[in-house]
Amino acid sequence: MKRSLIFAAALAASSLPGIGAKAQDAPVTLTWQMWGEPNDAQLWQQLADLVTQQYPNIKVQLQLSGWTDYWTRLPVLTASGQVADIVSMQSMRMPNFYSILTPLDDYVKNSDVKVADFETSIMSGLSHDGKLYALPYDVGPWMVFYNRDKFAAAGLKEPAKDWTFDDFKADAKTLTKDGTYGYGTQGFDFIAGPVALGAEYFNSDNEFDLTNAGFVDAFSKYADLTAKDKLSPVFASAADASAASGRFASGNVAMYIDGPWTLITAQANVKFKIGIAPLPRGSGPSRFITAGSGWGISATSQHKDAAFKALQVLSGPKAAEILGSAGRALPARLAQQTAWYDGAAKNVSGTRDTLQYMFAHTTPFRINEKWNQFENLVMQYVPLTLTGDSKPEGVLSDIQSQLP
Amino acid sequence: MLGKHTDMIARPRPRSRKWFRGEGWTALFFLLPGLIGIVLFLVLPILASIALSFTNWQLLGTPRFVGISNYTRLFTTDPQFWTVMRNTIFFTVEYLVLNIVISLGLATWISSLKIGQRWFRVIFFLPTFTPLIAVAMVWMLIFTSGGLFDSLMAALSLPFSGVLNDRTLAMQAVVLTSIWAGVGYNTVLFNAALDMVPATYLEAARIDGATAWDRFWKIRLPLISPTLFFGTVMTAITSLQVFDQIFVMTKGGPGSSTATLGYAIYQRGFQNFQMGYASAIAWVMFALIMALTALQFWFQRKWVHYDA
Repeated sequence: MKRSLIFAAALAASSLPGIGAKAQDAPVTLTWQMWGEPNDAQLWQQLADLVTQQYPNIKVQLQLSGWTDYWTRLPVLTASGQVADIVSMQSMRMPNFYSILTPLDDYVKNSDVKVADFETSIMSGLSHDGKLYALPYDVGPWMVFYNRDKFAAAGLKEPAKDWTFDDFKADAKTLTKDGTYGYGTQGFDFIAGPVALGAEYFNSDNEFDLTNAGFVDAFSKYADLTAKDKLSPVFASAADASAASGRFASGNVAMYIDGPWTLITAQANVKFKIGIAPLPRGSGPSRFITAGSGWGISATSQHKDAAFKALQVLSGPKAAEILGSAGRALPARLAQQTAWYDGAAKNVSGTRDTLQYMFAHTTPFRINEKWNQFENLVMQYVPLTLTGDSKPEGVLSDIQSQLP
Repeated sequence: MLGKHTDMIARPRPRSRKWFRGEGWTALFFLLPGLIGIVLFLVLPILASIALSFTNWQLLGTPRFVGISNYTRLFTTDPQFWTVMRNTIFFTVEYLVLNIVISLGLATWISSLKIGQRWFRVIFFLPTFTPLIAVAMVWMLIFTSGGLFDSLMAALSLPFSGVLNDRTLAMQAVVLTSIWAGVGYNTVLFNAALDMVPATYLEAARIDGATAWDRFWKIRLPLISPTLFFGTVMTAITSLQVFDQIFVMTKGGPGSSTATLGYAIYQRGFQNFQMGYASAIAWVMFALIMALTALQFWFQRKWVHYDA
């Protein structure tokens, strides 16, 4: 008797998804996979609740994991068919993961979402082969963070928006004294830096071409700052990508390169005034790469329509304002960027001007499915040229040969 | 004669039948949780990884059968593979020799002590309790540029600094860390074996005029050789699989100077999403460990003495 009751219940439960698919307005619970620290959870939950406020039938269940874990879990969950309805995606990882997402172009076309409301560079960063796979929440270029107090003490002018590599190097030289370095280098500088100098790491077929003369030259300029001019400490091959931020916070280096997404943390850690400047340019005009993150709908989701409704709210103006004023993200929505400038970046000089200048000079951030591998090889091999052990050409051809 | 024979065959039969009717099933029932665990999380993944090593599975999408091309690519075109192989063997040989020599030395020294034997055993065994990841993190901070090790070397006017960024010295730093973390286990093992050597043998040798060196070399060492063999085989197997120290301290760098098979599997599988290729490397590592272990078993006949 009891057993047959359980059986009947199980039968009813197993047929539920079918009923749900028929009746559009039946309540749905969407899962949402996101990365973040435990203390971010409240912020993301606030966004999930925003969805339910607007669509009482849609409940969004947040699944939070740490940044590194997130990227290990995502492919495993996908392979075992348990990927969430809403998947968080970073532009630099898009080439590895677009296949698990639903193209959003048709959804966008049939909705009120205006592509022009978002920063252009991040919309292309979240697209693959001309199809949009995610709607962004944040965006940002790599830029120079500097210690304004040290600049003032050394009698240096604040960096101009179109400062050149020579200006940057001269400042770093002036600031290198009394056991502190003018600049703290880290892995990503060897990608964002050369691009700002006008170099290309890809050929026209979107394949890595690291040994072209332009890239070797620009790469060497950055390597020489450490290897020859000793203006920066060396980073180790096992150092994480933000190795210099700690040295910057403790006052051991006066400049380092990072993105606006770390500004709130950087400010909390320092006891001096922070300034931000664009990356130095070469002889040509400035050009910058930007990255950012957003949310897509998994290709296997059972509730794609509901998920897109949720996505509109998550990437909508209200959510952008919440994230911007909390300092978690420089919103990808142009109109809401003010929330970040007036909130998180209130005490940092020239943030708005600098970023607007940088957005006006962005160049597409070219990436392919070997990007991850490339970044790891940069971390592994660049230290060899920083210690003067190998020449930049040699290191670049070593990296190139391992990216078949 | 015939009757006796059939009797011998017949006798175990009812016993075995009874075994599977009674306690056998009970035993199986109680073993089942463990057995399911082993099949599910050990046997199946092992079988799956053999199958995967013949595919191009990238974690996402469906795997496609590619024959032995992962293996041919590994041995012929992968520019890193032979470096990785050389690093692995280099690490294993150096670490194994140092570990055995140091732990045997420490064990002999401890067993010669009149007082405090127990304390020294605990002191040297302590690092074995510490998670290797934590040990590696502390040593990474010691070896980091401008860290404790650098100031120590500067104070001694020795030309070693920034070892983790040096192609040749980075591996030595990893070996040193591994020795610190791993030597205690063998020390305790060998020390126990040395204590088992009958004092009467040593006493008799002493009366016959054998020197301390003779007693060590001709009596104690042969008598502990089975333990020494066990220690050597186990240490060789774990050092061929070295991963944690590399992952924390060098990430295979600088360049590829500390990249080992264990690290290569992680890197290909979980960073580059080449699961099929990573499985192929794992099976090459398995073959290498099997071969070296077989070799050790072959050689043991020459130097291991089992006290009959």
